[in-house]
Amino acid sequence: MNGLGRILLVEDDPKDIDITLTALEEYNLANEVVVVRDGAEALDYLHAKGNYRSRAKENPAVLLLDLKLPKIDGLEVLQQIRSDERLKLIPVVVLTSSQEERDMVASYRLGVNAYVVKPVDFHEFVNAIKELGVFWAVINEPPPGSVARRR
Amino acid sequence: MSMRALRPYGLAVLAIAVALGLALAGGHLGLGNLEIPLFLIAIAVTIWYGGAGQGVAAVVAGALCLDYFFTPPLYSFEVDPKDLVPHVGVFVVFALVVGWFAARRRRIERELRRALDQLQEEVAVRMRQASLLDLTHDTIFVRDMNDTITYWNRGAEEVLGWTAEQAVGKRAPELLRTVSSRPIEEIRAELLRTGRWAGELTKTRADGAQVVLSTRWSLQRDADGQPLAILETHNDITERKRREDDIRKLNAQLERRALELEASNKELEAFTYSVSHDLRAPLRHVAAYAELLQKTASSDLDERSRRYVTNLLESAKKMGALIDDLLAFSRIGRAETRMTLVSLGDLLREVLHDIERETEGLDITWKVGAPLPSVHGDRSMLKLVLFNLVSNAVKFTRTRPHAAIEIGCRDGASEDVVVFVRDNGVGFDMKYASKLFGVFQRLHLPEDFEGTGIGLATVQRIVARHGGRVWAEGVVDSGATFYFSVPKP
Repeated sequence: MNGLGRILLVEDDPKDIDITLTALEEYNLANEVVVVRDGAEALDYLHAKGNYRSRAKENPAVLLLDLKLPKIDGLEVLQQIRSDERLKLIPVVVLTSSQEERDMVASYRLGVNAYVVKPVDFHEFVNAIKELGVFWAVINEPPPGSVARRR
Repeated sequence: MSMRALRPYGLAVLAIAVALGLALAGGHLGLGNLEIPLFLIAIAVTIWYGGAGQGVAAVVAGALCLDYFFTPPLYSFEVDPKDLVPHVGVFVVFALVVGWFAARRRRIERELRRALDQLQEEVAVRMRQASLLDLTHDTIFVRDMNDTITYWNRGAEEVLGWTAEQAVGKRAPELLRTVSSRPIEEIRAELLRTGRWAGELTKTRADGAQVVLSTRWSLQRDADGQPLAILETHNDITERKRREDDIRKLNAQLERRALELEASNKELEAFTYSVSHDLRAPLRHVAAYAELLQKTASSDLDERSRRYVTNLLESAKKMGALIDDLLAFSRIGRAETRMTLVSLGDLLREVLHDIERETEGLDITWKVGAPLPSVHGDRSMLKLVLFNLVSNAVKFTRTRPHAAIEIGCRDGASEDVVVFVRDNGVGFDMKYASKLFGVFQRLHLPEDFEGTGIGLATVQRIVARHGGRVWAEGVVDSGATFYFSVPKP
């Protein structure tokens, strides 16, 4: 999973990763996903630093971002993306357990493209992930400089 | 007739008659030449006590008697002017001298009397004023520039405990042990400079207790502007000070409490955040894996294991709903209300529209009475109230073949708008009415009616935040009516 991802999943919880990938599998989107486990790693990936120095130059088509992350939290990752000329166009979807209004407001203030609360219900969760994946990685035309869709 | 005419000159006649009698008697006894001094004494006495008019009469009478009785020819008014004129001249001059002295004396006497009258009047006024000063409960005393007390009113006696007899003549600082937050010398300097000073002093009563006084000092100066005395007036503010102290203490306490409360609110917020975020994740995992298990291993499981998985899923779902409701409930407590004029009629229409999905396929007769009025409130919160009540009515009439739900308003003379939602559902026993609005309180089994026991608690919390109240009436198996009131706009 190095370099080709159209979906960058930033998620620290292995079970959430497992379930998310399971949901994306049904649309054969699972192998389009690059998974990073905290905010620092996400920024490394986006800036092509550290372990990701050799990644492909293109940006992911979409970033699925959890808010509560080790080291650097999701809101800060979002803020750094939006203030970086090369990264600011990447569509970012916050995918979180938090229904708190202040998280939602803070995310939109920072220019998030969508805010999705992870449903407790498995079906709803799977549907949400599938729709997100399909919309952002397949239907939506990503900004120039993103990983091209394989046709 | 002659006696009456003579009365105004009675003193002159009497004095001259006595002088004549004594002079004649003296002549008989051989004491000669007494007549002139005796007549002079008579004239002097007459003028001194009788005034100028009688004096003239005495001079005339004296001259006539001298002529008649003592000037030759005796016993005749015939006279040689040479003999009489010098004597009469002496009489007149003497009378003028004595008259002048008498007039002067009278004038002085009059002035003295007037001065005395004035003095008496002034004393009376002063006495009245002094007794007026005694009427006030304020402490008033005067001390001279050596701090010796010269006046002490009854208020001073009441507040400071010393009587006027005890206090007057004593030095004020020693008697009263005055304590000030500012050096007394400074206060004194200010008093001498400006003529007055006001502030707070602590003094000690006769019984040793301390009193806090609101004090005003005024400087009395003499005509040359030299300081003469200091007038001190006081109000006893010991009690007020004590109350102020109490209030200050209470305020400090209150502030501390508010801080504590704020801290615990923050804690609570962190807690709910944590519940919202951290509890939902593992729950989601349980639900997801149970679901996946059901999907992938269903054929390998026996009937009992499949039921286990189903129960697992149901419980996870239930817990999810509970967490969501609990969060919504706590959010109502924390959220700020945005008060506007809200049309309850509009809200009800929206609610009835929203609830259509729930009521699909059910036979419900809706009855909406008189249009609901507008009230001041938070739109989304009031909508939740109506939604929860209507949704409750739908829920608890589900077992009826024909459900009837009525929503109306009792707009009586009271200050509140009262809205009710009535149904013909399963109702409730009035002895449990007090439990209806408690968090997690339920009157039905979960398999009969689903629910988390948060809905009515939410209703109550919202209505309470709007300054209203909620109550309910019900009969088992024949329906329930839920009321809420909000103040009229």
